[in-house]
Amino acid sequence: MAKRKFFKWLLILVIAGVVVAGGIGLYLFNKPHRDVQASSIDFSISSEALVQEFLNNPSNANAKYLDETGDSKIIAVTGTVHSISKDLKDQFVLLLKTDTAKVGVSCTFTQDTNLNAEKVKSGDHVTVKGVIRSGAGYDQDLDLYEDVVLEKCDLIKE
Amino acid sequence: MKKTILSLAVVLTFALTAFSPATKFITKNGHISFFSHTPVEDITANNYKVVGTIDPTSGEVVFSVPMQSFEFEKALMQEHFNGKDFLNTKAFPKAKFQGKITDLTSVDFSKDGTYTASVSGELTLKEVAKPVSASGSITVKGSAITIEAKFPIALADYGIVFKKGKPSTNIAKSVDVTVKAEYQPE
Repeated sequence: MAKRKFFKWLLILVIAGVVVAGGIGLYLFNKPHRDVQASSIDFSISSEALVQEFLNNPSNANAKYLDETGDSKIIAVTGTVHSISKDLKDQFVLLLKTDTAKVGVSCTFTQDTNLNAEKVKSGDHVTVKGVIRSGAGYDQDLDLYEDVVLEKCDLIKE
Repeated sequence: MKKTILSLAVVLTFALTAFSPATKFITKNGHISFFSHTPVEDITANNYKVVGTIDPTSGEVVFSVPMQSFEFEKALMQEHFNGKDFLNTKAFPKAKFQGKITDLTSVDFSKDGTYTASVSGELTLKEVAKPVSASGSITVKGSAITIEAKFPIALADYGIVFKKGKPSTNIAKSVDVTVKAEYQPE
């Protein structure tokens, strides 16, 4: 009789375990993307200083700012708006760059934050929060300087 | 005689420079997506941050792609994509394509129209360069051009092989890459 009770409990435990494991698996499989704007800022920096870090030492800067999972550092970048454009997904792109600099920080907004970017004019001094995707650098094959890429951006108060 | 040849050469050089089209076209406004199909599931990822150039004289085409800008529907897939077993984007943040338009004479960069074109070259992922060929179109409209192309890549070419588990059944061995980019003259 005691044996039977033991097996009954064992069965309940096993079933509970399977349900919990399955639940965790399903949660992980369907877990939402990180909400960049709701997450805390890792670094606050000027656009020139950020660019310079990548130009001075690309591998150090990559190690500092990029994450293995793709959820890289969230940065608040302050700078002057050099140009405003829209990408093929209809998202606003602000390029923060001084007139004399070769390269800047390209900040792509989202469908949700587009309205905030719409009010910005070139020459404005702004602070943009977003996730870094790649650094700045000179590419020999392109014969061009590539900007720092920030995405999921929104304007924040300085 | 020598003088004639010399002056002819000078005139010819001037003529060629005068008639050659814009030095280079640049895009910072493109869309690269890839599509993997298996009976289990279809996976797509999109990237809007490609930078590229086309040299209309030599036909050279270059793309630089920030790999962390690929976005997936599922967060977990995006993590796997960036991770060490897949594209290791922290160590290799950018992919590069370098190629040439193979039928350059059929494209007139100075005349509006849509031209079919082929490009062949090398795609470098994780510092592994493999040959790829793409066919597509080049549309010239005023001073701007738009290109569209599609090509398959074999993941095993880049050492991306899954022997067991979900990735082995859910990710196709060959994925289709689609490129669209709008260029402006330099």
